[in-house]
Amino acid sequence: MEEGKAYIESGILELFVLGQLTAQEQKEVQAMASSCPEIRQEIVAIEIALEKYAMQNAVKPTVGLENRIFERIGLIATASHPEAKVIPLNAAEVKINYQSKIRGLRLALVACIALLVVSVAALYSAHSDLGNARDQIASLSLDREKFTSTVNYMKSNNSDLNKLVAMSDSPDWKKIKLAGQKNPNDNMVVYWHPAGKHVMINTTKMVLPANDKTHQYQLWALVDGKPVDLGVFDVNPDTAHILVNMKEIGEAQAFAVTLERRGGSPTPTMEKMMAMGGV
Amino acid sequence: MYFLYISDSLEATKKISLSEEELVSKLKSQDTLAIQALYDMYSGALLGVISRVIQHTEVAEDLLQETFIKIWNSAGSYDNSKGRLFTWMMNIARNLSIDKVRSKDFKNSNKNQDIENNVDFIDAQKEVTFNEDVLGVRDLVTSLKPEFKIVLDLVYFKGYTHVEAAEELNLPLGTVKTRIRMGILELRKNFN
Repeated sequence: MEEGKAYIESGILELFVLGQLTAQEQKEVQAMASSCPEIRQEIVAIEIALEKYAMQNAVKPTVGLENRIFERIGLIATASHPEAKVIPLNAAEVKINYQSKIRGLRLALVACIALLVVSVAALYSAHSDLGNARDQIASLSLDREKFTSTVNYMKSNNSDLNKLVAMSDSPDWKKIKLAGQKNPNDNMVVYWHPAGKHVMINTTKMVLPANDKTHQYQLWALVDGKPVDLGVFDVNPDTAHILVNMKEIGEAQAFAVTLERRGGSPTPTMEKMMAMGGV
Repeated sequence: MYFLYISDSLEATKKISLSEEELVSKLKSQDTLAIQALYDMYSGALLGVISRVIQHTEVAEDLLQETFIKIWNSAGSYDNSKGRLFTWMMNIARNLSIDKVRSKDFKNSNKNQDIENNVDFIDAQKEVTFNEDVLGVRDLVTSLKPEFKIVLDLVYFKGYTHVEAAEELNLPLGTVKTRIRMGILELRKNFN
């Protein structure tokens, strides 16, 4: 202990702390310190005293030197500075934003494609529906035409029937029955209005064999023993009109029908006399 | 990086302070928290030493930067059984400063100044930051006997060897050694 005290008082420990000793002397002091706690404590006490002295003589560094030093050491580069933290976070957010935008755009694109497909299907469907509708319209139009023609036919028939009723009731109209000449069952009816010179035949009250395409029936009026042409007519089951107007005549004693070539003849062919009746 | 959050949010009013053991441990494991704490705790003290060797502010602060880089890079070589961390750092700062002063490029520049006027120059030019935790700091510094203070400042702050100090002050080497010891003892007595 005495040795230690003398060593401490020699002042070598102060020089040791101040870095004034040679490498060899330093090793000796360190060896002494490790073997003698008292010396070790003395060294620490000297160090602390000088440390505090240095603290009291501190000089404030320029503001910003700190960052320069940390930059050099690479602290800022290793993202320890708040700014260095913030930037990657923002970048990440931007990236996330872009990703969500891209995702949104993809969804929009898929939706657009789906809509397009649906639209095309709907258009195709509408097109075929339109075709069907057009067909239906055409069909309906045809039906309507048929209906119209039927209505017209019936109107015409109705008109003819009304006329027939009127003619039957009117004393001005004469009803002349023509009897069959070739066949006793053949017969037909001619309506005549002498004052008006009107002549009509009733196709429903007509029993005559149907004529072919090269022949037609011809109506004649016998006026003072001479035949006068009153026009031709056909006998077939599809005759549209009940009443057929013939040529006018104001005076006649009898009416006759002959079968002539199509278009009629200037004079009746007597062998082909089919029906005849007197007024 | 909790400490950076604290220091930035309080605009550097909150300084980092760690125990010697924590500092050494973090410094050796190259934890960046250590260098932040070292800067907060010791940058002023280290610059105080450097500034007494080199008066040019820019050069002195460049040296402080070099000091911290060397502390960071040499952390593995620090042995706490051979001395306290601050003593080790102080020696790094002082040795870098002396090397700079003695370097050819520094001697050729106009940045150097008559070495005898250094201490007074620094105290006149710099804002010397005193530790507020210690009362009567100015009194303490000034109360250190001038014959002790001039020797101690030459050796401790300006990097003079005790032999150079003896020559400079024209004193016997034994007297210089004694005054160094007496000065430090006076400091210890005042701090206690």
